[in-house]
Amino acid sequence: MIQKILGATVIEGEDRLDADVDFVYASDLMSDVLAFGKPNSALLTGLATQQAVISAHMAEFKGVVFIRGKRPKDGAEKFARENNLVMLTTDLDMYDACVKIDSIDGKSGSGAQRGAILPKREDILLNQEFHVEGSDFAKAGMASTQVKSMLKKIGVDPKLVRRVAISTFEGEMNVVMHAVRATIFLVITPKFIEVIIDDEGKGIPDVALAMESGFTTATEEMRAMGFGSGMGLPNIKKNTDEVNVTSEIGIGTRVWMKFLVNDHNADEGEEN
Amino acid sequence: MTTEEVISKLGLNSLSKFEHREVVGVFVSDMLSDVMAGAKSGNLWVTVQTHKSIIPAANLVDVSAVIITGGKKVPQETIDLATQHDIAILVTELPTFELVGKLYALGVVTQ
Repeated sequence: MIQKILGATVIEGEDRLDADVDFVYASDLMSDVLAFGKPNSALLTGLATQQAVISAHMAEFKGVVFIRGKRPKDGAEKFARENNLVMLTTDLDMYDACVKIDSIDGKSGSGAQRGAILPKREDILLNQEFHVEGSDFAKAGMASTQVKSMLKKIGVDPKLVRRVAISTFEGEMNVVMHAVRATIFLVITPKFIEVIIDDEGKGIPDVALAMESGFTTATEEMRAMGFGSGMGLPNIKKNTDEVNVTSEIGIGTRVWMKFLVNDHNADEGEEN
Repeated sequence: MTTEEVISKLGLNSLSKFEHREVVGVFVSDMLSDVMAGAKSGNLWVTVQTHKSIIPAANLVDVSAVIITGGKKVPQETIDLATQHDIAILVTELPTFELVGKLYALGVVTQ
């Protein structure tokens, strides 16, 4: 049924397509699958790794559907075969796949929630992760460039695109300069856009001080490249509607930014 | 004024492949955050920075061209990335001060 409605391609388990599925659970966070997934569900995920299949198996799911044509390249197929799981891949994105499945019988499971920060699954238009490596100056700015082109492609207001892009760029630069690595989460809903930059690194001893214009711990070398003028977090503050920076020494920093869609009053980001 | 006119009037060399576009004002800075905070869409960005990260910055703030002054040698990877994102990389032997003076004389001013 799910395979048909999504027009999905079968990767594994052709003979088990008639398996009864009671719920569909959509998530990219495997700990959520394990915490909230109900037995006899199908997992809808963008995480194309064996880990997704293993988690589905642990949660007693019947199968896994990978979105956006993704196919795991590791041992996922073998694991699925050995554990009687169906593996499908659909060209639809998470949102469209959820909508299509919802339209069958409304028996969808609880929504994908990443802790308390994500909105209800059905409100998410796009949910994307980017990885950034610390000290990799050659790739610095690539993730924010991707964020920009994605927002542009789905038709977000150019002024808003600019504010999100600038803030993401500053956050990404901070990771490249100061952290070991980070994941950038981009969540788009009709009402707001969230960018969460979660890094592993040394942390910020005094967040309030780091938020001040001109405060910097960048090295001479970084400054020679035009980074580290102490404007990063202040720039983020200026371009976001809400921002929250939390940091733990020796563990890492999380920068959470929120941008409201269609709120022209909040448009402090300069434009022509 | 367009990038095409700026190039011919100031005798700049273009290193990347790009489409000519309208120029609106100019922004001079070598600090990326400064550019992110202050440059406007359509600005010419005048800088001495040549490393690859100037391209994402130029792309994000949507400058009309990056003018690299002082006859600096621009790494090939910067040029390739610029071409990939349709960003104009223009170079001049003139130092920033003199180039900006010429831009001013042309009527390209900060807006």
